[in-house]
Amino acid sequence: MGIGATHIDHIVISSNNSGAVAQTFADNLGIEIKRKMIRPGTSAQLAFAKLQEVVLEFAGPPEVKPDEEVKAKLWGMVLAVEDIDAAVSELRAKGYTVGDPTKAVQPGAKIATVKGGTSGVPFALIQYNALPIEGASS
Amino acid sequence: MLKKIHHVGVVVHSADEAMKFYRDALGLKVTADRVIEDQGVRGVLLEIGGSEIELLEPTRDDTGVAKFLASRGEGMHHICFESDDVDAELEGARQKGIELIDQKPRLGLAGMICFLHPKSNHGVLVEFATPLTDGHH
Repeated sequence: MGIGATHIDHIVISSNNSGAVAQTFADNLGIEIKRKMIRPGTSAQLAFAKLQEVVLEFAGPPEVKPDEEVKAKLWGMVLAVEDIDAAVSELRAKGYTVGDPTKAVQPGAKIATVKGGTSGVPFALIQYNALPIEGASS
Repeated sequence: MLKKIHHVGVVVHSADEAMKFYRDALGLKVTADRVIEDQGVRGVLLEIGGSEIELLEPTRDDTGVAKFLASRGEGMHHICFESDDVDAELEGARQKGIELIDQKPRLGLAGMICFLHPKSNHGVLVEFATPLTDGHH
C-alpha cells in the first residue's frame, strides 16, 4: 500500500544566487520563470518555473555577494499527496520519522518533512486544499 | 521544446535499499530496473505522476556516478527534461555555446538521451531525453 502520492510537486535547486541560476535555466533551457518572491520568515529569495505538474523552485539566500562565483545544486523534492495526515501515519507505521504536517507557504496547503531514510534527499510531502485559504470567501 | 520533467536522478549506494522507501513505503511502481554496462550503473525508474524518480547505483568505481557517490554521498544527481526531439535540443544547446558532455544523443534508460555539462548550469547536471516510441525501456 502506498501513501497516495500523485506527482512530484516541486524540485528545489539551492544556490547562492537564485535569480542568476533561474535566469541561466531560462536562457539555456528556454523555460519560463513565472514568479519570484521573498519567503516569509527566512527572507530567502525564490524563483519558480513550472513544467506541466512539476515546479522548479530556485532558492537562495536573502543577500547575494556580487563577487562570489554562482554555485547551485539539486537539493530536494516534494511529492503531492491526496491526504497528508494519512500519508504521514502510513510512513510512521513503516518506521519512518516524519514531522507533523504544518501550514505551508502555498495557500491552503499543509507540508510535512520526512526525516531520514530517503537516500540523502531532503524530502517532504504536501497536500493542497488542506486548509481554508485566508481571505477567500465561500 | 522541453515538455516536462521526465525524471530526477538520485545516486544511491544500493538500489535495493533505496527501494525500501521509494517503492515499498511510498508505493511507487518500478517501470524499469536494468544494469547499463557501459555506464557502470544499475538504474531503477519509479513512476510518480507524469514523471519518474531514477535511482542510480554504481556497479563499478571508475564512473561519474561512483565518483559523485564517493565525494558527495547519496542524493540528487541530475534532472532530466523530456523533449520530442533530443537531437534538436542538443543542437540548440551547442549553438548557444553551452558546454556538452555528450556530443550526440545515445541510448539510455529514459530513451535517447544526452547530458549538458554541469558547468553550464552553475553545477546542476541536466539531461535531455526523448523516450523511444515503443516505451522507454
